Amino acid sequence: MGIVIENPGILTTVQDEGRFGYQQFGVSPAGSMDARSFRIANILAGNERGEGALEMTFQGAAIRFEEENIVAITGADMSPNIDGEPAPMYQAVKIPAGALLSFGMTNGNGCRAYLAFAGGLDIRPVMGSKSTLMRNELGGMDGRKLLKGDRIGFTDAKSSLPNMYLRRLTPETFPKKELTLRVVRGPQDCEFTEEECRNFFWYGAKITNEFDRMGCRLEREEPLRHIGDGNIITDGISFGSIQVPPNGQPIIMLADRQSTGGYTKIGSVISVDLPKLVQSMAGYKVRFIEVGIELAQELYVRQEKEFDGLEKRLNTRV
Amino acid sequence: MEAKFLISGDTAISVQMGDEISLEVNQKVRGLMLDLTKKPIDGVTEMVPTYASLMVHYRPQVIRFGELKAEIEGRLGSLEGVKEEGGIVKEVPICYGGELGPDLEDCARFEDVSVKEFIRMHSEHEYYTYMLGFAPGHAYAARFEEPFHFKRRESPRVKIAGQSIVAQLNLSNLIPFPQPCGWNIVGGTPLTICNYTKKDPFLVHAGEWIKYVPVNQREYEKIRADVLKGTYQVRTYKKEGGVK
Repeated sequence: MGIVIENPGILTTVQDEGRFGYQQFGVSPAGSMDARSFRIANILAGNERGEGALEMTFQGAAIRFEEENIVAITGADMSPNIDGEPAPMYQAVKIPAGALLSFGMTNGNGCRAYLAFAGGLDIRPVMGSKSTLMRNELGGMDGRKLLKGDRIGFTDAKSSLPNMYLRRLTPETFPKKELTLRVVRGPQDCEFTEEECRNFFWYGAKITNEFDRMGCRLEREEPLRHIGDGNIITDGISFGSIQVPPNGQPIIMLADRQSTGGYTKIGSVISVDLPKLVQSMAGYKVRFIEVGIELAQELYVRQEKEFDGLEKRLNTRV
Repeated sequence: MEAKFLISGDTAISVQMGDEISLEVNQKVRGLMLDLTKKPIDGVTEMVPTYASLMVHYRPQVIRFGELKAEIEGRLGSLEGVKEEGGIVKEVPICYGGELGPDLEDCARFEDVSVKEFIRMHSEHEYYTYMLGFAPGHAYAARFEEPFHFKRRESPRVKIAGQSIVAQLNLSNLIPFPQPCGWNIVGGTPLTICNYTKKDPFLVHAGEWIKYVPVNQREYEKIRADVLKGTYQVRTYKKEGGVK
């Protein structure tokens, strides 16, 4: 027993940290878009870091609990409520058997919410991961988004967790209308003149509505000009790679990105800034700031230490 | 060309081993990947070989860019030639023309040869799988003899069928699932190119060779039935002379 989806919302999928080890065979990693909110949800729910959770987009789901369990909700604020009573976010919350946990539209603070269940979801991993890759009908719930009537079991539902009173954090605030993303240059910044690289950082861009789990298309007033034709010998792509196709309008590659691609990549958004981007919406203005690889990795490691500290404080198993 | 170490964000490094699509450069990419597989570097999570580069994904909390670069640089000096697959050739049955290969006749006309001669040119040689990408199991493969002269179609198709075999110049790719495609479709294979339920889901791996074996419609149906029953064995053989 576990949950029944009474209303799936706009786009609700099962995601974990991603499907790794298969990019060499052409398989996109998928996984949570906002890795930070996802990770915090699992820690609050007392789970291992890679456990599967639900990712809801813009408008959340209505979920009937057939069995009591503890959950944690993070990311975008979709005004969650339990049988009509407001449910706290960034906190471990017990949901009684029979209750309806429902979400509405985002109130503008972010666009992707995460719902982690204590003990995890009974979803069969495919190639080592519970993540859903809809484009290739792979993983998660039959490779698709959740639909009304879907049932997902709990692996090991909990009625209590240790340190229950400590399992609460201040909810995060996501960008509104404008955001600044730090970027490490490369791998193909030398396909642009130095002046054009400066232009990339000097002038901002707008997020278009072509923004999904695969990538975020930007619109610049002046398209970027390549030295050559903008094509390269196909190489690998990472989460946050900024592709600039021949039309000069950048695309930031996200969770469902292709593992390889043949367009120039001027730089990559640093890992700790990706949550800001994926919680933003069409029409927002983006500015880019150049940072070095040393700083980017220092920030990455600092965030990992923050997670490890939280993990240790809440979930140390005796 | 000296290997280049290109930063690809804070969790990946692209090691570029050359600036052309050639067997020689790709073998260097595979050689590095083999070395890093045999003697793994702590913190490396995944490697993705492409035509001329190896992308190495890693965890900065275990190893930083500078350290990883130095470590890989040290390996490059002493790479042995690739001996891994020893030149495995996989036979891929293909039914040319008809509904499975709607562009066959156009292609033959463009090359100014008969359909029979076109099929001979396409199927007589072995194709080297440079890389997989774009979709699960999607193989980018090339032969080194008798290249065609036609390239892509003028306007791409919005959707072509899975199991299609497409061609241009000396390239011929295996299409695992329905997808948009601008290449010419010369035929279809009864084999499943990617099957998630199998222990090894992918028909061919990078570094392996493909030999297309022409079959007629009846043989195609027969093989397809065996594939669906799970009784079909893909035929493989060793490439003569091993990998060059």
